[in-house]
Amino acid sequence: MSSTSVMTVLEAEVAALVVGALQLEVRPEEIDPEAPLFGEGLGLDSIDALEMALAISRQYGFQLRSDDERNGRIFASLRSLAAHIEKNRVG
Amino acid sequence: MGDIAFLDRAPGDVLARLGDVPVTAGRFLADVAALAARLPEAPYALNLCADRYLALVAFGAALARGQVTLLSADRSAHRQRELAARYPGTYAVADGVETVIPAVAAGAWGEGLGANFPIPAERVAAIGFTSGSTGEPAAHAKPWAALVAAARAAAARFGLDDAADQATVIGTVPAQHMYGFETTMVLPLRAPMAIHSGPHFYPVEVAEAVAAAPGRRVVVTTPLQLRALVAGRVAGVSAFISATAPLSPALAAEAEAVLGAPVLEIYGATEMGSIASRRTVEGEEWALYDGVALRAEGADAAAAVVPGLPEPVPLSDLVEMGGGGRFRLIGRRGDMVKRGGKRASLALLNRVLSEIEGVEDGVFVAPEDLEANPAARLAAYVVAPGRTSAEIVAALRERVEAVFLPRPVVLVERLPRNAVGKITRQKLEALRDALPHGVPAHGETEGEAG
Repeated sequence: MSSTSVMTVLEAEVAALVVGALQLEVRPEEIDPEAPLFGEGLGLDSIDALEMALAISRQYGFQLRSDDERNGRIFASLRSLAAHIEKNRVG
Repeated sequence: MGDIAFLDRAPGDVLARLGDVPVTAGRFLADVAALAARLPEAPYALNLCADRYLALVAFGAALARGQVTLLSADRSAHRQRELAARYPGTYAVADGVETVIPAVAAGAWGEGLGANFPIPAERVAAIGFTSGSTGEPAAHAKPWAALVAAARAAAARFGLDDAADQATVIGTVPAQHMYGFETTMVLPLRAPMAIHSGPHFYPVEVAEAVAAAPGRRVVVTTPLQLRALVAGRVAGVSAFISATAPLSPALAAEAEAVLGAPVLEIYGATEMGSIASRRTVEGEEWALYDGVALRAEGADAAAAVVPGLPEPVPLSDLVEMGGGGRFRLIGRRGDMVKRGGKRASLALLNRVLSEIEGVEDGVFVAPEDLEANPAARLAAYVVAPGRTSAEIVAALRERVEAVFLPRPVVLVERLPRNAVGKITRQKLEALRDALPHGVPAHGETEGEAG
C-alpha cells in the first residue's frame, strides 16, 4: 500500500481540481497519489476524462490528447497526471 | 430482394482521410480485399478497432467473407469473453487493444484498386447491443438493406449527397456504437463524403481534423462532447450533428452562436437505428427520415416501421404524433435511464444492488437532469450495516457499466418503504431532492442545466 505517500504541492492542487470538477465524495487529501484514477482506484470513466480535460485546459492552459492517454499513462494515477501537467502547463 | 453492392462510390472518390492523407474508394477496396484474405474462416468478427478507417476496412473485409460483424464499443476483456461465449467461433479484429480471444491485427494494406462486391440484401451485416433486461446485452441484428436504406436517408436529410461539397465527417462517437456506426461507417459507403480516421476524443483533436479537411466539415458528436467543443472554441465547422442523449436547447443555441454552425440532432436507438432529425434551436418537433413511419401502439406509445427491418421497433420514449411525419417526445417509457449513450433499467440496477453481499436494501435514484447535464450521475441509497460506500461501488463495478455507477452512495439505516414494501414516487423524489448538490460542472456555459 502506498496510501502513506506524501503529495507534492502540485499533486495536492490537482487532487483538489479532480475532486471539484468531478464532484467526488472523497477529500482531496484522501486520494492515494499512486492509485489508478480509472476503474478500480477512484473509479473514473471516460465521461470524467472529458470533464478533466476541460478543467485542466482552464486551469493549466493546455489540451489533453488521446495519444497521450491511450496507454493509460496520464490517468494511471494522480502522480502521473500531476507529472503530465507539470511538463505541459502553460504559464 | 437480391443483392446490393458493398460500395456505391466512384474509384477515384475520397472515402477517408488519415490525418491529411486522402484515401480513395479504389484504394479502400484494395485494403478491404487484403484484410479479407487474412481473415480466418469464422461466422463472427468482433470489431474492436479504435482507428475509424481500420474499423471500416475490417467491417468491409468481414462482409466480403460473408461474416457478421459484432459491434461493441466496450473493448474490455470481460466483454470480449462474453461475446465469444455467446457467439461461438467469434474472433476479434483489433488495432492495439489487448485481446483475450483469437484475434487478427487490423491494417493489411492492399495494392492498386480493389473490386467491389455484391451482398445479399437480407443478410445480417452487423449486430449491435444494448443493455438487456436480464443483465445480458440484448442483440439487434442489422440486415444489409436496412443499413443501406438508413444511410441513403441520412445523406439526403443532412445534405451529404453533393460531391461538389467534398464533405468530411469527423466523428467523436465510437465507430462501434450504433449511431457512430451508421454515420461514420455506413454513410461513407453510400454518400459522396470522407470520414476522418481520428482519434477525436478531446476538443483539440477535433479542431485539428477540422483544420485538415478541405470542404464541408460535419462533426458527429454527443451533447457531452458538444459542450467540450464549445468550451474549446472549435472553429471552422460547417454543421454539428448530435445524438445519444437529448440536447438541451440552451446548449444548442450557445453552440450555434459560439461556433457559428447549425446544430442538428438525430433521434434513434440501437434497435431501430436513426429514424428522425431536427435542428434543436428551431423547436422540439422531430421530422422522420424518408421511408420511416411511426405506428401508434396504445396511448402515447409508438413503434417505428423502418425500411429493411423485419418487424416494427417499439420506441423507448412516449410520443405525441403530429402530421407530416412529425412527432414530439413526451417522456421515457418504463423505468429506463440513459447516460453516456447507454441505457439501463432502474429496476435491474436495483436488483443488482440488492444482490451484493451485505446489502439489505438499496435503491438507485436518477436526478431529473441526468440526460441533459453531463455532470449528473445516478445516486444510490443503501442499507448495508458494516459495509462502506467504496465496497459497494467496487462490488457494483463487476456487474454494472461504469457510466451507471452511483455517485454518491448514501448509507442509510432504512429506506422509506410503505406498508406493502414499495417506495412511493413521492418518497423517491424526496430522496432525490435530499442529495447533496455539487457545483454544476458547467463553467462558463450558463443556463445549460435543464
